[in-house]
Amino acid sequence: MKVVTGVVGNDIHVVANRLIDLSLRARGFEVFNLGVNTYLEEFFDAAVETGAEVLLISSLNGEAEGWGREVKALKAKYKHLDNLIMMIGGNLVVGSGNAEDIVPRYKNYGFDLVCHQVDLNTGLDTLEAFIQERNKQ
Amino acid sequence: MSLENKLLIDVGSTYFKISTETSIEQHFRDFNKDILDDLMHHCAETIGKYDKQNVHICSSANGGLNTLIIGITNSYSLKYATNIAFNSGINIIDTILYQDIEDYSVPSELVDVVIIVGGIDSCAGIFNDSLYSYLAKLDYSNIVFVGSSQDAPMIEQNIENVDILPNIIDNKLHIVEESLKEYLTNLYQQDIEGKEDIKSLYAITDNQIYPTPYIVNSALPLIDARYSIVNPFILLDIGGATTDIHYSKDLVEENIVTENEYDRLVFKKLGVYKSKQSLIFAAKNNEFVYELLMHLKVTENIFNEQGAKATKILMQLAIFLVLCKLSHYRKAYVNLKFQTINSFVLTGGITKVLSTEEIEDIVAFFYKKILTSEHRPKVVLDANYDIWTLGVKGDESCL
Ligand code: B12
Repeated sequence: MKVVTGVVGNDIHVVANRLIDLSLRARGFEVFNLGVNTYLEEFFDAAVETGAEVLLISSLNGEAEGWGREVKALKAKYKHLDNLIMMIGGNLVVGSGNAEDIVPRYKNYGFDLVCHQVDLNTGLDTLEAFIQERNKQ
Repeated sequence: MSLENKLLIDVGSTYFKISTETSIEQHFRDFNKDILDDLMHHCAETIGKYDKQNVHICSSANGGLNTLIIGITNSYSLKYATNIAFNSGINIIDTILYQDIEDYSVPSELVDVVIIVGGIDSCAGIFNDSLYSYLAKLDYSNIVFVGSSQDAPMIEQNIENVDILPNIIDNKLHIVEESLKEYLTNLYQQDIEGKEDIKSLYAITDNQIYPTPYIVNSALPLIDARYSIVNPFILLDIGGATTDIHYSKDLVEENIVTENEYDRLVFKKLGVYKSKQSLIFAAKNNEFVYELLMHLKVTENIFNEQGAKATKILMQLAIFLVLCKLSHYRKAYVNLKFQTINSFVLTGGITKVLSTEEIEDIVAFFYKKILTSEHRPKVVLDANYDIWTLGVKGDESCL
């Protein structure tokens, strides 16, 4: 299964991005890593060019909120991305924040899976469970 | 050399002009017509009065391929193919975002080359009937597919005479330039060797059709007789598709041409009509352009506008970009000794749009910002195409 990943916006925190790349490969995914400093349009465009089923965005420096708000409008312009699984993780707000507020807010922005300050392996387990569940339907 | 009984015709990318011993007229080209038909439509009576031996034609209209790129995203397929096309010397590029292809109108003009691109090799089934039905309505000479190799057989089955080349996007989403670049460069070469349009003009002349820049170049030694210019000078011919620069050899350290007093340089990508998109592309990549726009009291939005004001700004930008390219700031093919230039002569469509003051303003901005110099050469406009007439007069072999 193909996954496009990267760090959104002007964010240069690269360590998690490298770990995500390795962990996804170890779990058998085909990874297209756009690296740090990636804009939303590039994520969606990469999903189109590669035919990816999953988009996994990470954000560490606190920019996520601003980008999150733009997701719905931008994604609506694409005609063939309705089935794309949308996931985001890292530090999704400035400061620590409260997952109970953050998760529903990001789901509302258009994400299927929201992992605020969740450890990577736990997050990827959730992703695999989600994919299995969807395949059953 | 006498011009008596001579009819001079110049066919440009945007308009043509015809000159008799007593008058000079100019008409916008109608691109739905063959050049000869267009010319006859406006000037049949005048042309009819001249013997074929006395009609002299020059043309700059056959420079460049008209290209349409159909790709699936802005950040990858369209961007990569556009980049390769510009680097292959192509001036005119239109793009279609494939998912919305049904919303695009079909150009009435013949497209020289259509490029279809999209998807990495492991992605398949990207294109379908909407592509084929668009192409069925489109008038094109060449078509090339540079998308996913898995889709190539299907494309080949559905599109007649399609050329298939390796994907320009690799599996890491990186650009692969070589094969498409070579293909486009070859097409461009064939195009220059003879457009049918230009060939049909031999119906009205017995004389060889010369490239316009050749004629302009012949005028240069005669120019100071006509204008009060101070040598050394450079001449800029900013047209619809290309920008030509002619400069005296005193202005460069090393010379490539040795027989002539003047050298010539062309920027194929800088024009305000046919190569408008590449002009804007170049402008956006120049870090001083925003300051210049501010100086001209407009914003970047002007790039999306049409009309007289936008054309004026584009012309001013074209002057600035050309000067940048010739200076040490953007080391190009040659660097002119700008401190030594005494006059700037401008000819071509630009003289109908900008005033001397507006051009002086840009030249001053360039000297100040790029060269941090107070030097201000004199600006001279060739508003009545005298240079072109002079050139035909000046070149014995032409008449
Ligand atoms: C190293 C670091 C830097 C380095 C980055 C070097 C580099 N090129 O990577 C430098 C010094 C450049 C830097 C700069 C900045 N940083 Co910094 N940085 C850190 C630091 C100390 C460690 C980050 C790291 O690499 N951790 C190791 C990795 C493995 O862990 P991680 O990033 O947390 O990722 C884990 C999880 O979040 C998860 N994960 C990540 N993404 C995803 C996605 C999904 C889907 C899932 C499931 C999981 C997941 O997986 C990882 C492993 O479990 C953190 C503080 C900290 N201790 O976390 C601050 C921190 C991230 N930085 C911070 C800030 C504010 C900045 C700056 C704005 C500082 C400034 N004022 O200039 C700049 C921003 C620069 C920019 N343009 O982005 C803040 C962010 C605060 C916020 N979000 O509210 C932090 C949290 C520090 C803090 N407590 O204030 N930083």
